[in-house]
Amino acid sequence: MIEVRNVSKIYLNGFKALDNVNLSIGKEEFVYLVGPSGAGKSTLLKMIYKAEEPSSGKIFIDNFSLNNITERQIPYLRRNIGIVFQDYKLLPKRTVYENVAFALRVMHYSRSKIRRQVSQVLELVGLHQKMSNLPQELSGGEQQRICIARAIVNNPKILLADEPTGNLDPETSWEIMHLLTKINTRKTTVIVATHNKEIVDNIRKRVIALEKGKLVKDQQLGVYSTNVK
Amino acid sequence: MLSDLEFFVSEALVGMKRSGLMTFISIATITVSLIIFGFFLLLSSNFNNLANFISSKLEIRVYLKDTLTKREIINFENELRKIKEVKKIVFVDKEQAWQNFQQNFKNINLNDLIESTPLPNSFSILLEHNENIVDIAQHIRGYTDYVEDVNYGGAIAKNISVFANFVKLGGLGVVLLLSLATLLIIVNTIRLTLIARQDEITIMRLVGATKAFIKIPFIIEGLFIGIIGAILSILFLKTTYGFIAMQIQDNISFFPLVFEESKLNYLYFMVGISGTFLGFLGAYISVSKSLKK
Ligand SMILES: Nc1ncnc2c1ncn2[C@@H]1O[C@H](COP(=O)(O)OP(=O)(O)OP(=O)(O)O)[C@@H](O)[C@H]1O
Ligand SMILES: [Mg+2]
Repeated sequence: MIEVRNVSKIYLNGFKALDNVNLSIGKEEFVYLVGPSGAGKSTLLKMIYKAEEPSSGKIFIDNFSLNNITERQIPYLRRNIGIVFQDYKLLPKRTVYENVAFALRVMHYSRSKIRRQVSQVLELVGLHQKMSNLPQELSGGEQQRICIARAIVNNPKILLADEPTGNLDPETSWEIMHLLTKINTRKTTVIVATHNKEIVDNIRKRVIALEKGKLVKDQQLGVYSTNVK
Repeated sequence: MLSDLEFFVSEALVGMKRSGLMTFISIATITVSLIIFGFFLLLSSNFNNLANFISSKLEIRVYLKDTLTKREIINFENELRKIKEVKKIVFVDKEQAWQNFQQNFKNINLNDLIESTPLPNSFSILLEHNENIVDIAQHIRGYTDYVEDVNYGGAIAKNISVFANFVKLGGLGVVLLLSLATLLIIVNTIRLTLIARQDEITIMRLVGATKAFIKIPFIIEGLFIGIIGAILSILFLKTTYGFIAMQIQDNISFFPLVFEESKLNYLYFMVGISGTFLGFLGAYISVSKSLKK
């Protein structure tokens, strides 16, 4: 499903964020992307949805090389990828419902279809009772769930979650992670970039570790610590 | 698609509300510019009308040599009829001319001073088209055997139509400058909305919106500004022109004002189209510049 081949990323200021990374993620897999702050996790995710370009190497999705995708095709690529952002990226002046519906509007869904899918997904993330609230009236965990709802509302093939539990208390973090595994069982490939050792070590999945831009571990049913091989 | 349109329009309205003051300024400038544009259109249209009116009343007066016989006069008249463009020739007998003259200036008793008529025989010639009046008058002057002198009122008509063109040209210059200024203001207004909504645009792009989809609400916003300006300026022009035309009619009743519904509607239509187009163009420029990346 996702192939990363010899990818390096050097930012304009000369900083090398990724160094010759190779990995392959299959259909409907669930993968943790771990590593200390600055390791290059977000950089890797950004290249998958083409917000950044690799300096060298290639990324393939469904055997299509992202290098060959033109500017005009990027929106259509992104419609197949749900993204949960580290900083949520919610629209502050729009209700929970509007924030989620927005993603479908952009894809020209009909009004009835939008209504149906948005209430379904809000039910799934447990926010259907707050759909007329504004984001600022919600807790951090609830805002994170709006973001997840928006990312999955059109059933994308891939879900990228960047630090989905970053600012949440342990209990809410668990809820969010269970939600993500639930989404994975709906035939969505899920990649979660995280620092959360608790979760990685307890909900055991494949673990890919980056350190200073280098891939240092790729382990099925792995654990967080990079020392344990 | 209907839900798309609804979405675009409501987005555009939200944008207009958010940059309310700039939207207001844009509408005000575009309205003023369009009023001035319409004013020049009306002015030059009226001057043209006046020029046409005057030249429709123009004649060439050919004064004949006093020595000509009746026969020669008839020959010359036949000669003149051969000239293309000549619509009508009327022979004005010198006795009759003198009577007319006396009729017109009753209070001066000229008969006491002058025994026989001092005026020559003449032809009054009306042309098909008055643009050629100067050339034809010159041509007739060439018949030196018959012609004493030739007079025509071409100069006034010519001057008026030159003046009408001048007004049109000057107006065009002013209007172009104003359009440019208006355009800049609209470009900036839309840019303000774009900046205010930068976060939304980023998010839209991340969730898979095409550029066209992102652009449309802003273009609709520009169109709205243009259309509102157009409507306001047309309302203003209509009432003001109606009022001024009435005043002129009452005071200088012979002045040939443009009153035809169709002509005026065409002018207002031009004003409306220009406003709408300016709004569209302003938004288009702004959006294309901002969304290049
Ligand atoms: N646009 C940029 N220009 C220059 N350097 C950048 C840019 N974006 C990221 N970097 C650098 O690249 C490195 C990797 O950043 P990245 O955001 O991928 O880290 P991360 O693993 O996601 O970290 P965190 O866990 O803190 O989110 C960092 O040192 C960062 O400073
Ligand atoms: Mg990150």
